[in-house]
Amino acid sequence: MSSRAPSPHPDHVDKVTGRTEYITDVEVPGMVHGKILRSPHPHAVIKGIDASAALEMPGVIAVLTGADVAALNNHWGLYLKDRPVIAIDRVRYVGEPVAMVAAADERIAEEALEAISVDYEPLPFVTDATEAIEASAPLVHETHDTVKDFYFKGEAKPVAGTNIFQRYNYEHGDVEKAFAQADRCFEAKYEFPMIFHYAMEPHCVIASFQSDGLTLWSCGQSPTAIQKVLSRVFGMPLARIRIISPNVGGGFGGKASVKIDPLVAALAWKARRPVRVCLSVSESMLTARRLSASIRVKTGVRNDGTILAKSVSVLMNGGAYADTGPAVAVKAANRAIGPYRIPNLKLESMAAYTNTVPGAAFRSIGGPQAVWASESQMDEIAEALRLDPLEIRNRNLLRRGEHVRPDLRPIDVEMGEAMDIATREMTQLRASDSGSKTHRGTALGISDPGIMAVSSVLLRLKIDGSVAVVSNSVEIGQGVREVLRRLTAEQLKQPVDVVEVLTPDTAIAPFDWGTGASRSSLMMGLAIADAAADIRRQIADIAAIVLEVDPQSVELCEGGIAIGNRKKTFGELLHAYFGIDSGELVSIGRVSPYSNAGKLAQAPLFWETAAGQCAVAVDEDTGEISVRHYVSVADVGRVVNRAAAEGQDEGATVMGLGHTLSEELVYQDGQPINATMIDYHVPTIDEVPENFVTVLIESGTGPGLGGMRGMGEGAILPVAPAVANALAAGYGARIRELPLTPERVWRAIRDRKER
Amino acid sequence: MFLVPFTHHRPASLDEVFETLGRHGDDAAVYAGGTELLLALKARVLRYEHLIDLKQVKELSGIRVEGKELVIGALATHHQIANSDVVKAHVPAYAALSEEVANIRVRAAGTLAGNLAFAEPHSDPPSLLSAMDATLVLVSPGGKRAVPMRAFILSEFTTAREENELIAEIRIPVTAAGEGFAYRKFGHLERPAVGASAGCIMREGKPSYRLWFGAIGDHPLQATEIEDAIAGVPATSLPDVLPRAARDCAAGISTASDLHGSADYKQHLASVLIQRALAAACEAAQNKGGANA
Repeated sequence: MSSRAPSPHPDHVDKVTGRTEYITDVEVPGMVHGKILRSPHPHAVIKGIDASAALEMPGVIAVLTGADVAALNNHWGLYLKDRPVIAIDRVRYVGEPVAMVAAADERIAEEALEAISVDYEPLPFVTDATEAIEASAPLVHETHDTVKDFYFKGEAKPVAGTNIFQRYNYEHGDVEKAFAQADRCFEAKYEFPMIFHYAMEPHCVIASFQSDGLTLWSCGQSPTAIQKVLSRVFGMPLARIRIISPNVGGGFGGKASVKIDPLVAALAWKARRPVRVCLSVSESMLTARRLSASIRVKTGVRNDGTILAKSVSVLMNGGAYADTGPAVAVKAANRAIGPYRIPNLKLESMAAYTNTVPGAAFRSIGGPQAVWASESQMDEIAEALRLDPLEIRNRNLLRRGEHVRPDLRPIDVEMGEAMDIATREMTQLRASDSGSKTHRGTALGISDPGIMAVSSVLLRLKIDGSVAVVSNSVEIGQGVREVLRRLTAEQLKQPVDVVEVLTPDTAIAPFDWGTGASRSSLMMGLAIADAAADIRRQIADIAAIVLEVDPQSVELCEGGIAIGNRKKTFGELLHAYFGIDSGELVSIGRVSPYSNAGKLAQAPLFWETAAGQCAVAVDEDTGEISVRHYVSVADVGRVVNRAAAEGQDEGATVMGLGHTLSEELVYQDGQPINATMIDYHVPTIDEVPENFVTVLIESGTGPGLGGMRGMGEGAILPVAPAVANALAAGYGARIRELPLTPERVWRAIRDRKER
Repeated sequence: MFLVPFTHHRPASLDEVFETLGRHGDDAAVYAGGTELLLALKARVLRYEHLIDLKQVKELSGIRVEGKELVIGALATHHQIANSDVVKAHVPAYAALSEEVANIRVRAAGTLAGNLAFAEPHSDPPSLLSAMDATLVLVSPGGKRAVPMRAFILSEFTTAREENELIAEIRIPVTAAGEGFAYRKFGHLERPAVGASAGCIMREGKPSYRLWFGAIGDHPLQATEIEDAIAGVPATSLPDVLPRAARDCAAGISTASDLHGSADYKQHLASVLIQRALAAACEAAQNKGGANA
C-alpha cells in the first residue's frame, strides 16, 4: 500500500454511518410518489385500461397510461427508437410498465395500482434467442427505426421483418482456407446466461417540471444522454432540461444510457407535480440485465499450438428493447479475439429481440460472454495437444505494439508480463496452502473500451485558494470524485484538501459523454489538465499586469504563485487585480477526438486487460466449487488511488464469481421465475476467495495523465473461464454453460467418471 | 411493496391473545419475528386486517430444561437458541443447526416456532427435530395438547395446528450420554435444497439410528428404508451397508425439479447428506453425547 493521502475514500465514513445522501433522501417541495403497474404477460395486446376506481381513491393524484403519451414524441432509444415512454397498446415482456400512479405517498400509490384493471389479449411470445431468429417466430417489433450517431457513434443494422436488431461482421485473411490447412480444428458452443446488475441502490428518479424547465434527480450514469432523450420526448430545448446526479449506489451499466427517466418525467408531466419513483430490487431486476449469449468458436491450430485461424459466431438475447444491445453485440465479437496473433479471423455477431427484460450494458459490455467462450476453448486446445495452458498462450501471445486487428490500435500492454506475475503470485499462494488440494486455472481477457473522446470540465479557483471541480462524472461508488480531486490538486500544484468536487448538475457542469466504459478518470483527467493549463495562463497574465513580471517566470505553488523566491497568495494576487478581496478565476477544459493531435480518435483508446488465475477445490459429492485463491493482474498504466483501484479490481472479480457460480435469470413459460433476491444468488462474503491478490502494473504507457489507462472492468473478464479451466484440469469436467452450479459440476464429474 | 394497512395488537397474556383472536377470527394473524409473515404480506400473497404481536406474552418466552426435556418457548429466536448455553449443553446439535439458519438478520428476528408454523418446506429445523423426536405443545382457549414434530407438518404451508391454536413451546429430549445427532444441508440459493438429519443412539453397546430428510419433500421424510437396512449395524461397519441403502432410499424420494435442482440431483444430495449427517452423529455419540456437530 503506497497511497500517500491519508484517506483513500473520504466518503466511506459517511456511507457506513448512513449520512451519504442518495436520491432517495432528496425531498423536493410538493413532491408526490409514483408506483408502476407492470405487465404479467410476456407479450399481449392491451385492449383497455380502467383506472377510474384508482383515481377515486383519496390521495391519488394522477394515473398515467399509454393513452396519455400520445401527445409526446413517445418512442425513444439510443440506437433504435423502439421503446415507448410507457406501454402503448402492447406489452413485450413480463414487468413492462403499463400504468403508473402518482399519489400522496408510496403506500397509497401501491394500493391504487391494485384498483387498476387492464384487459389483455395474450400474443404468442418468444424468450429464447435461437427461437427468436427462426422465420416462424413471433415478431417483438414489426419495424425497426434506427437513429445514427445519436449518442453512440454509428448505427445499428437490423434485419427487416425479423427479430434481429443488430448484425456485425468482420474478417481478415482467409479463415476457411486456413482451417483446411490446420493440423487440428476445434469447434464448440458456449452459453452465457442473463445476469442482473444488482446495484445495491435500485433505480431511483425524481422529476419536476418548473418554470425554468424540467429538472431530474437521476441515478443515471449518463446525465447528458438522459437530457437528450427527454429533450426529444417532451419537445423541449436542451437548455431547459437539467439533470442532477447525487451519489449513486452502484451502476455497473444497469443505470447507463437511459432507463426509467422518461417514464418518471411523464408521470410528473401528467400529475403536474414533482414525482419521486424508487424501484424495489425486484423491480430493478425487471428493468435491465446483461445480454445472454450463445457463442460458437472455431479455432484451427498447428500441432505445436500455433493458432492459424479463428472464427467466432455470437448470438445475443437482447430482450424486448434494444437499449445499448447493438454496442454489446459488436463488443462481444471483438472481445472474443483474445490477446493472440490470429492471421485469419472471422467475426459474426447478431442480437435478437425476445419477450424478456431488455438487455443492457453491463461491466465490460459483451466481454465476459466473449472471454468465457474463447478462453475456455484455449484450454480445450491445450489439453487435446497435450500442451500446458500457459505454454499455448505464450506461444500465441501478442507483444506490445502488435495488432489484434489491423484496423484497431495495436495492443499497448505486455500480456505475457501480466500472465507471468499471475503465475508467480499463485504459485506462492498455493505453496502457503499446501494442506488443501486445489487446481489451477488461467484465463486472459482483453477488451477495446468504447470510449468517446468527448468530455469537459469547469475549474473555479476561488480567491481563498479553494478550487471547485464542476463536471458530469457521476460518483457511482467507483471513487471518481476522489480521483478528480487528486488530479486537480496535482495539476494546480495545490494540496488535495483545498479541492472540492461538486455534485454533477448539467445546469452548471459542461457536457460529458457519460460515466462508463472505464473512461472517467482518464477522460475527465485530460479535461482537468486542459482546464488547469488555462488557469495557469490566466494567473500568469494577471501576475504580469499586477506585479509587472514576465508571465513566463510565474509558477504555481501551494496557496499561490512563485516568481523565483518571491511568493504571493492567490488572495493577494486577485485582490490586487480585482480591487476588492473577492472574486474567482474560471476555466474550462475540453477533450475531443481532435485533442492530443488526434491521438484520442483511434479506437480503442487503450486496451483494458486482465490476467486471472484461480485455485479451486471441488466437493465432488455435491459439485460445490470453492475458489480458494485468486490472482488478478492488469497493466492500468498508473494508479491514482491505490485502495480504490484495488477495490475496483476485487469488486469486478467477485462480481464475475456471480455469473461463474450461481447467477442466472431463469425464464419459464415467458415468466422470469427467480427475479427476487431470495431465488437469485449474488456472491456474498462467503464466496470471496480466502486469498485474493491484485497486482496493478504501472507501466505509464496509457493515454491519460501520467500514462494512466481506464480500469475497473477488466478483472471481470477472466473469472469464469479461469474457474472452468481449473475444473477441467483437476476433475476432467469441461462445462460450456454458465453458471457452474453445483448440479452442473456434479453431473459433469459423474458423466466423466462413467465414460 | 408496502404492507397493506392493518390494526396492530400487542397483548400481554395468552388470554388476551385468544380474546383478540376470538374477536377478529379469520381477519387476524399472530406473529413473533415476522420474517415469513411480513414478507408474504408485503408480496400481498396474504392479507390480514389485524396483526397480533406475541412478543409481550411472557408465557411464551424462555429456554429451560424440565426433567429430560429442553423446552424452547415460542418466542425464542434462532439466534438466542444458537447462543444459549442451555441449548449448547443439552441439545448441542440443535444449537449448531440454529447457527446456520438463513442469515443473521433472519436469525436475530425469526423464531423457531414461527418457522415451524409457517411450514415452508425449504427449512432447516423440521427434519432434525423429527430425528430428535421433539414435541410441540399447542395451546388454545380449550387447553393444551402435544403433537409430535413428526406429525406436525402435513404438507407445504400446512400443519396440524388448528385455527385457534398457538405453538406455546417446543420440547426436545435432552441428548443423553451415548447419543449423538447431526444435521447437514446443501443448496446454492438462500434456502436449503436438501437437508438431512441423523441420530445415533447407543444402548448397552448397541446402536440404533434415526434418519430424516428435510426440504426435499413437502414435509420431513423419515428414511425408514435406511433405518431398517442399518438397524443394529455397528457404526464402524456402516460403510459396508450405508452407501447403497442411502442411494436406494434417496432414489425413491418423490420430488420435483425446480430452481433448487433437478429431481435426480436432489435425490443424490439426499443420499450424500444423510451419510454425512450419520457419520457426524455417530462421532458425536461416541463423544458420550457431549459436544457434537
